[in-house]
Parts: sequence; C-alpha cells; structure tokens
Amino acid sequence: MSAFSRDGGIYSLALSVDEAHILINLVEQLLELLGEGDFNHHYDESDPFAQLMSQLKAAPEEVTAPEDPVLLRLLPNAYADPEAAADFRRYTEPTLRGKKKRILAEVRSGLEVLVDEDHAGVIEDLNPENWLLAINDLRLALSIRLEITPESFDLFETLSDDDPQKPIYAVYFWLGWMQENLLTLLAGG
Amino acid sequence: MASDTLIESDLDISQLVDKPWTTIVWDDPVNLMSYVTYVFVKLFGFSQEKAHALMMQVHTEGRAAVSTGSREEMERDVQRLHEHGLWATLQRDDKI
Repeated sequence: MSAFSRDGGIYSLALSVDEAHILINLVEQLLELLGEGDFNHHYDESDPFAQLMSQLKAAPEEVTAPEDPVLLRLLPNAYADPEAAADFRRYTEPTLRGKKKRILAEVRSGLEVLVDEDHAGVIEDLNPENWLLAINDLRLALSIRLEITPESFDLFETLSDDDPQKPIYAVYFWLGWMQENLLTLLAGG
Repeated sequence: MASDTLIESDLDISQLVDKPWTTIVWDDPVNLMSYVTYVFVKLFGFSQEKAHALMMQVHTEGRAAVSTGSREEMERDVQRLHEHGLWATLQRDDKI
C-alpha cells in the first residue's frame, strides 16, 4: 500500500509497481487533455482510464471556454457573466494551464523510473505541495468522468466486484486517501 | 452629529471605491474538507480556525466569500484558487 513519509523537510512516496503504473497513466492522460503530448506515454489504449479520459481531446487553438467538462472543471470560468469570463480566460488561461502541466510533468518524471524499470520503489525528495495539487487535479478529472456526488462512496460500496466501474471508483477514493495522508504530514509542522 | 454622519459617509465612499469586489468559493463534492482548509491557510494566511470556519461555510451554505478588494486583487485570488483546484468566481460585492 502506497504511503507518503516525511523525514524532517524531506518527503517521499513508496509505491507498488501497479500503483506507479496507475498514477503515471492518469497523469499522462490528463497532460494530454491539457494539450501536452510531447512524451512517450506508458499507457495502453485499452486501459480503462485511457478510454475514460480520451472521450474528447482538447483543441486549444483559441482560448475559449473548453467543451470538455474535465477541462472546464480544471480551468473554470472566473465570472458568471460570459463576456467577463471570456476576457479573463483569454488573458489568464494559458498561465493556469501551463502551471498545471508543469506540476503534472514533475510528478510524471518522479514516477517514470519506477514504471520504466517496472518495480516497486520510493520516490524520494518530492515536492509535497506540487504532488498535492497534482493528486487533486487527478481527483477532479476522475470525479467529472465518474459524476461523483456526495453519495458516491455509498454507491461504490454496493458495486459488485465484477462491475467495470468499481476499480475506477477504487482509484478515485485511493487518491483521496493519499491526499489525506500528505495533508497530515504537511500539517505536522 | 453632523460631522459623525459626514465621517460615516466618507468611509462608505472609500469602501465603494476600494473594496467593491468579492471572491466567492463554491461547494463541490470532490475537494476534501482538510484540503480546502489547507488551501485557505496557504493562500490567505488565515488562522486554522478561520480557515476551518470558512470551509464549513462553503460546505454547509454552498458558498463563502473568502476575500474582498479591488477587481485586480480578486482576479489574482481567483486565479490562485483555480491553480489549487477550488471552484471560485469573483463578483461585485453584493452588499453594495
């Protein structure tokens, strides 16, 4: 079972090989959705997460409100008024998108060694704040695809083990658990 | 009495000019309560107690005003909240 740990100001994350694969797949799919495709991705097209994420590819030719609901959740409108929202987006969205991509790319490079060498291991000296943001963005993305509501955990518990959605829900809740784990360490002074 | 009134109205005018915008954070079913509190402390320097109270207001009332100021300041706050995955908007202070 994965866990973050902390030694003074140094944060690490221990992952099984399966967990490293799941995380890098999600990170790469979100990077691609955000318009970053310049890397050799590790996931297989038949991966259930790949199918989930690639429902619509981003086409960032012009800076307008994204049609993909995942992108609209990650890059939301700042104003209720559509015109003010469009103006604000034109000036700020490239920066926001760029920051999210940089943080996801950082997390991806931490995972890459474990995945390429195909073994369990520890990612050492990671940036806990950036990992927290990346995990949160992964949860937000999955939550849109899974249509998460406050009742989703109860629903998850009633799903039978052969339900194809079950492992995806399990990953969603696992990411929440990782986030709590990291927040507890960050709050420890 | 008259001068008191004048001072009060001066204050109101300065508020209209300087603080007409508010940043609102909206509830969502995804962001963890502990995470939202953490973000409020990190971005606004709130005490743990104040951040927790604001988080609870978002959770129970569906929204909370987290900062007020000029339009430029609030746009910056909204941008930083979006960087952290919170659902935030800015609007003209509805108390005016």
